[in-house]
Amino acid sequence: MLLAQVLLNGVLLGALYGLMALGMALVWGVLNIVNLAHGALIMLGGYVVYYCYTLLGIDPLLALPVAMASMFATGYLLQRFLLNLIVRGALLNTLLITFGLDVVITYLGQVVFTADFRTINPSYSGANFMLLGLTVPVLRLIAFGIALLLSSALWFLLNKSGLGRAIRATAQNLVAARLYGVDPRQVYAVTFGIGAALAGAAGGLYGMISHLTPYIGSSLTAKSFVIAILGGLANPFKVILGGIVVGVAESLAALYIGPTYTDVVSFLLLVVILVVRPAHALRAA
Amino acid sequence: MTAPLLKISGLNAGYGAVPILSDVNLTIQEREIVALVGSNGAGKTTLLRAVSRIIPATGLLEFAGTDLLPLSPEEAFARGIVQVPEGRQLFGRMTVEENLLMGCRLRRDPGGVRKSFEWVYRLFPILAERRRQLAGNMSGGEQQMCAMARALMAAPRLLIIDEMSLGLAPVIVDQLLVVLNDVRAQGMTILLVEQDVFAAFAVADRAYVMETGRIVREGNVTELSKDPAVRDAYLGSD
Ligand SMILES: Nc1ncnc2c1ncn2[C@@H]1O[C@H](COP(=O)(O)OP(=O)(O)OP(=O)(O)O)[C@@H](O)[C@H]1O
Ligand SMILES: [Mg+2]
Repeated sequence: MLLAQVLLNGVLLGALYGLMALGMALVWGVLNIVNLAHGALIMLGGYVVYYCYTLLGIDPLLALPVAMASMFATGYLLQRFLLNLIVRGALLNTLLITFGLDVVITYLGQVVFTADFRTINPSYSGANFMLLGLTVPVLRLIAFGIALLLSSALWFLLNKSGLGRAIRATAQNLVAARLYGVDPRQVYAVTFGIGAALAGAAGGLYGMISHLTPYIGSSLTAKSFVIAILGGLANPFKVILGGIVVGVAESLAALYIGPTYTDVVSFLLLVVILVVRPAHALRAA
Repeated sequence: MTAPLLKISGLNAGYGAVPILSDVNLTIQEREIVALVGSNGAGKTTLLRAVSRIIPATGLLEFAGTDLLPLSPEEAFARGIVQVPEGRQLFGRMTVEENLLMGCRLRRDPGGVRKSFEWVYRLFPILAERRRQLAGNMSGGEQQMCAMARALMAAPRLLIIDEMSLGLAPVIVDQLLVVLNDVRAQGMTILLVEQDVFAAFAVADRAYVMETGRIVREGNVTELSKDPAVRDAYLGSD
């Protein structure tokens, strides 16, 4: 029973991890940028929800769309005016620039938000119910549902809309896409905006389930990176699945080895994957 | 004589500091089929890239009276310049149908798009059968048909085809040549780069011969095929 409970917690939390990685995988696949500032964008989204709730009294779940919209705009502008310089550039350049961006955002976060721990605590944050003898935390279940919802939405966008086709075309064959009327700068900016919006939603949920500081970004970037490699860059559902694998592995490690080792787990997984799964499996949309 | 659809005059282009094309002159009238032939490395593909604005160029490059030089490839496409590029360049991990949808993505006439779908599926029935197959998993000939169909879906004003026959069986080449006449009947204009000079001359009205980045001969195809130099170099001497 304890094992079942641990597995359930792992699955629910893992889907949220998957949602965190979704935007990173999308941007990586289409723009070929490993965005080291992705976790910082998650952090920003978390604070948007936090302030919507504490200052404006907006229910945090209803504030998620606000976080997504404002992060979309942030991402769009970042791409249009800064990151366009490095799209499909040398890997080292993209790493340097996004690392710098991460440092800047984290620093600004520290100045604006202060270094204090923040949690988003709506009235239902501790609620849970029993199902088949297992305790189901309501908030984590909601996060799980939202992760599935947003990954489905992304799947439909990519596979069933004209915009999605243009995004995939750009990822698959840049010159051919331009010959067929796709403006890559626009596609890159929109794609980065979508990635940032997904990060924003993930950040809001993370702030409700865990806590926020300006420094959470780098460890969330690292986790997202592992999950993106695990789930691949092409299919949003596989990214969520990758998140669930990491979530379950962390929960099991906490149970059998001890809670201090959870962060090591995702990196052990990474090593295993890089050995077992060849890098060319990392294919774009 | 009416104003030409495409007018190229004194055009120079190349890759970075490497000049390839020098002083190229070429015009195409509306509804003409013009062939561009020349040996490997002559610069044919480079000229097509300049027309589609993939590479920078200097000189005069006009399409229907507007200057193309300041435009990007996507803007040239929006004006009706549509290319079937060398090596097909399909979106390999998209289905055949999605590739065709990429062709018509800027069109705002749903009725016309539907007609175009019917038309290209009639021209290439195999594509209708393989609608849901990934383009990258099709045979070479099928991929060439898919690339042609994708371009036709754009309802181009100027259809540019680079090496239509490369690697294809003669019967398929003949099929595609028939399609070109159908395409012209729809009011489109065609610039055809072809290493199979026999095939090109069979459908074209006029032709240009390019050597090391320059146009060295031009004329209508009946005259050109009598030209001893052209016969020796491209048509075999018999
Ligand atoms: N991307 C490039 N960068 C540098 N040089 C190039 C590039 N593409 C082509 N070239 C050079 O430009 C010249 C003309 O090439 P181009 O592809 O235009 O020839 P082509 O007439 O199309 O030949 P083919 O019949 O073999 O397709 C060649 O010498 C080629 O090596
Ligand atoms: Mg060529």
